[in-house]
Amino acid sequence: MSTPTPVRAGSAAAARRRAQTAEVLREFAANRSGVVGLVLLLAVIVLALLTPVLIPIETLDVTRLTAAQNEPPSGTHWLGTDPAGRDVVALLLWGSRISLLVGFAATAVSMVIGTVVGMAAGHFTGWAQAVIMRVIDFFLVIPGLVLAIVLSSVLSRGVWTIIIAIGVTSWAATARIVRSQTLSIEARDYIERSRALGAGDVHILGRHVLPAVLPLVLANTTLTVGSAVIAESTLSFLGLGDPTTISWGSMLKTALDTGAATAGFWWFVLPPGLAIVVVVLSFTLVGRALEAVVNPTLRGR
Amino acid sequence: MSSTSPEAPALAWRDVRISYAPRLGDTEPVVAVDGVSLAVPRGGTVGIAGESGCGKSTLALSALRLLPRSAKVEGAVEIAGEDLVTMRWGRLRAVRWTEAAIVFQGAMHSLNPVRPVGRQIAEALEVHRTGGAGDDAATAARVAELLALVDLPAGRAKSYPHELSGGQKQRVMIAMALACDPDVIVADEPTTALDVVVQAQVLDVLSGLVRDRGLTLVMISHDLAVLAAVCERIVVMRHGKVVEEGPARQVVGDPQHEHTRELAAAFPVIGDPASRLQVGTRVVSPSDRPSPGSGPGEVPGGALLEVDDLVVDFRARGTRVRAVDHVSMSCGAGEIVALVGQSGSGKTTLARTILGLQPASGGEVRYAGSPLPRDRAGLKAYRRQVQFVLQDPSASLNPKHSVYEAVAEGVRIHRLPGDEEQRVRAALTQAELTPPERYLRAIPQELSGGQRQRVVIAGALALEPGFLVADEPVASLDASVRGEILALLLRLKDDLGLGALVITHDLGLAWNIADRVLVMHRGRIVESGPVEQVLLDPQHEYTRSLLAVVPSELGRR
Repeated sequence: MSTPTPVRAGSAAAARRRAQTAEVLREFAANRSGVVGLVLLLAVIVLALLTPVLIPIETLDVTRLTAAQNEPPSGTHWLGTDPAGRDVVALLLWGSRISLLVGFAATAVSMVIGTVVGMAAGHFTGWAQAVIMRVIDFFLVIPGLVLAIVLSSVLSRGVWTIIIAIGVTSWAATARIVRSQTLSIEARDYIERSRALGAGDVHILGRHVLPAVLPLVLANTTLTVGSAVIAESTLSFLGLGDPTTISWGSMLKTALDTGAATAGFWWFVLPPGLAIVVVVLSFTLVGRALEAVVNPTLRGR
Repeated sequence: MSSTSPEAPALAWRDVRISYAPRLGDTEPVVAVDGVSLAVPRGGTVGIAGESGCGKSTLALSALRLLPRSAKVEGAVEIAGEDLVTMRWGRLRAVRWTEAAIVFQGAMHSLNPVRPVGRQIAEALEVHRTGGAGDDAATAARVAELLALVDLPAGRAKSYPHELSGGQKQRVMIAMALACDPDVIVADEPTTALDVVVQAQVLDVLSGLVRDRGLTLVMISHDLAVLAAVCERIVVMRHGKVVEEGPARQVVGDPQHEHTRELAAAFPVIGDPASRLQVGTRVVSPSDRPSPGSGPGEVPGGALLEVDDLVVDFRARGTRVRAVDHVSMSCGAGEIVALVGQSGSGKTTLARTILGLQPASGGEVRYAGSPLPRDRAGLKAYRRQVQFVLQDPSASLNPKHSVYEAVAEGVRIHRLPGDEEQRVRAALTQAELTPPERYLRAIPQELSGGQRQRVVIAGALALEPGFLVADEPVASLDASVRGEILALLLRLKDDLGLGALVITHDLGLAWNIADRVLVMHRGRIVESGPVEQVLLDPQHEYTRSLLAVVPSELGRR
């Protein structure tokens, strides 16, 4: 102890975390489909964020439109116009904002509920666990779409209703994954050591279990965002969304309502559908790549 | 078998060098075996000793060419004069099991849990059947014959692995190896996971087979005494090279190489005063030795930890199992007490109950006169006083936490006053991880097994406890490290006056470091008293049977 080098634990931990992050990034970069998904996603997100700058909301005001209804694609309207005469590219970009917002927010709700309930179900024993497990089972067997439809028709219409409806119905699968990981972590000796050191539930869950389940949750998140985007489109398509907001689902609904699909106006039907496919696929690709990084046993499969 | 000549050794390695492909980030290949030449004559028994990582398992697996693809073998491995390295695949399949068979380490994991063991033994027979369709009756008869060879009744063929004890499973593994009447058997740590009594049974079976059937046996172990009990010759390996070779008695009794001496010293001979209260080469000053005047059950300096008529029951599928049966004991401050027993004797349950990790069904645990608290706050305060060291240090540290975080964990939980870092450094120094700066940032996987166990001990010491409970603290460590950790426990007793209850199945460990010993059998303490008295003059029949199967004793039979 003659030369006390100032090794702060915080900085040591931070340095190791940086090294770990670099390692995760390096492995992710080696996964080509993951990188493709990530690039596509970033492009979509940047476009969605820049939409108000690129295309002011006024261009969608039906009272100020100049174009005709259902115009085919042309130089001025790259993807033609919708049955109200609005530019489809503008609709697509504005719609992406709602679709992504709902996707991310609903996933956040679902992940928070799923992680907390899953960890509780794995950590506690006896009747507390039995009750939590039955609640999870209940949400697992309930048809999510039906419950979401009921919720969004009972609650007031709006984006947040859809977010809550999707979030509340999609956490059960996450909870089960988190629970099984919690059980496997809590069987390890270091939990026993921690208890012998005097640790309580909060310490064990916060310091040992949560950091161990987070990578799984993270990988699961990206997969859930995709299905949340689809769920939002489904609900909007069924007319349960807010009719005043534009989303990819509501564009499809308009297309169906006005007979655009049967009339052969493909430029109004295909783009929102393809946009959904691209975004969901990107999230899935990123999610699978992350899963392979955090779960080394999946590598090379 | 035209190429086999009768005078060729049954198994021979000629200047064998085995290297594994470099790991990610490394450029140099990992050399596991470095120029080993070794010949085992027909009917010979050779033991290979060494620490983990010395290449002994790699060498053994090469005898059946069972190494992973990433391994590169140079030199020649010959079975009855035939070179395995260049052998064609079809011939290799025929040689495997019919001429040489292997008994793997850890019988628990090498048996298929969903098939009866008889079917698993028959599998080898079916794969290697030559000529004609199989006859079920003949197969069944052969399986019964094989089970008889390893002292198991024929009815056991219908049992599933989980219905057998560890020793029985290991004997089934040996029966499987014998299925095709091989000339050579390679046994890779066949008794490592077994306790002393079962270990003696398995070793008996192996030496009986060698004697009666003229088998050639190559056995691997890190315990020289185990090898000496079965083998004629012993080869000691280190860093992939053979450092000593000779007749078993000579290697064990008069080791020449320094490394052999280390290995031999790690497993003390009970009754040898040179290994009493001193470990390896470290000497504890004679003044620290307990005065021989203290009688049995009497605790010098007053009892710190008392267990009074403790009962612990488990309920499993409706039936009650009594793990701890009316146990009373006491441990004084600054005293090391060894709790000795076979696996399943209830000693770990007793330890967990003392720590408040397992509720008691009856009786009482008292620390410094006051009973074990039941409420959370009381238990937390109690756990500052009585600390736990677990068996496997690799599992008892969170792989994501640095040494600093692992040691500081208890300090943070108890919100101890003063500078956290100061406390961590002090605890690491006490656990002989010096200088502490070198270890603060490390994560468990960067440390050796012994260093990990020191981190666990440092984590306990950071709370300044009055008593340690250590459950098999060295059972999963290498021989040389074992001595270091035991020396550390002795030093902590001398320097800090830290008392400890050390749970073990190893009577040699009790002889090494303990002041008193408690012998536990089927949930009861059957004998207790000062170490010299209990180990040198055992009164209870069970203690005698434990002493009779200690490996160093086996060799003398």
